[in-house]
Amino acid sequence: MTKEEQLNIINDAIKQTKSNLQPLGYNLIFWSIVIISMSLFHYFFPQIVQYSYYSSTIYWVSIPIIGMVYTTYYNIKTGNKVGYETQLDRVIRIIWGVFGLAWIFTVGISLLYKINPVQDILFLLAIVLIMTGLIIKFHNITIGGIGLLIFTVYTYYNPGLNLLLVNVIGISFGMLIPGLSLYLQKTDE
Amino acid sequence: MNKDIEKLLFNPIRLKVISFLMTVETSNFKALIEITESSKGNLSVQLKKLNEAGLINIEKYFQKSYPTTDYSITKKGKDSFEEFYKQLISYK
Repeated sequence: MTKEEQLNIINDAIKQTKSNLQPLGYNLIFWSIVIISMSLFHYFFPQIVQYSYYSSTIYWVSIPIIGMVYTTYYNIKTGNKVGYETQLDRVIRIIWGVFGLAWIFTVGISLLYKINPVQDILFLLAIVLIMTGLIIKFHNITIGGIGLLIFTVYTYYNPGLNLLLVNVIGISFGMLIPGLSLYLQKTDE
Repeated sequence: MNKDIEKLLFNPIRLKVISFLMTVETSNFKALIEITESSKGNLSVQLKKLNEAGLINIEKYFQKSYPTTDYSITKKGKDSFEEFYKQLISYK
């Protein structure tokens, strides 16, 4: 084997490595749809969601936990199908894992002190979206995160806003649309 | 550079494996078959040689009752590859 052939082998092997970002798009779409649907259902049918003292808490904790179990299963399955994990994939996985833990912590604190966690979660989400967009160099996600951050800060100064509708608007523009654009772009590649 | 390692990386399958593992955190056996375009038996032999030389890690575990194996490059593997690559470039 000549030196040129060796260099070609190295270059070919490196070129075959691609970070698989389509599952990230799928995750963003999935969570957007879950949260928007839950918020709208709560908004239009408060008598069902709030029929007892703890029912609303159970509603907002149990469904996201089922969602977490499903997305964990989906991500493991997708990871096994691809067969390898790049450093970028690992960084993204860790960032969103930390967000999941922060979500559990925020919900726990909000239950303890009886405060609504929507704004705090949206703030965290905006930061994670900005980080993700910058790391994967996908501007739509960065812009979505910045938009969500501005919107969240705006809600802090307007306490009269309905937080369920805040959820719907914030998630639609900050996560659903950027997630769709990432998913469709990576499907075309 | 260590002559034994240079000899080890002279094999195209082993060189492909090391080059690929340089760019990923971990890889399973199926992905390595696709990258190297080699047979299961041959790849297993080459991976064993790389592991014995301390260039790659082999981690075996069970996932949903199925045995799974992950491969990753070691610090020695990274250093050896970098040295090998520098030598190749210098010959150019």
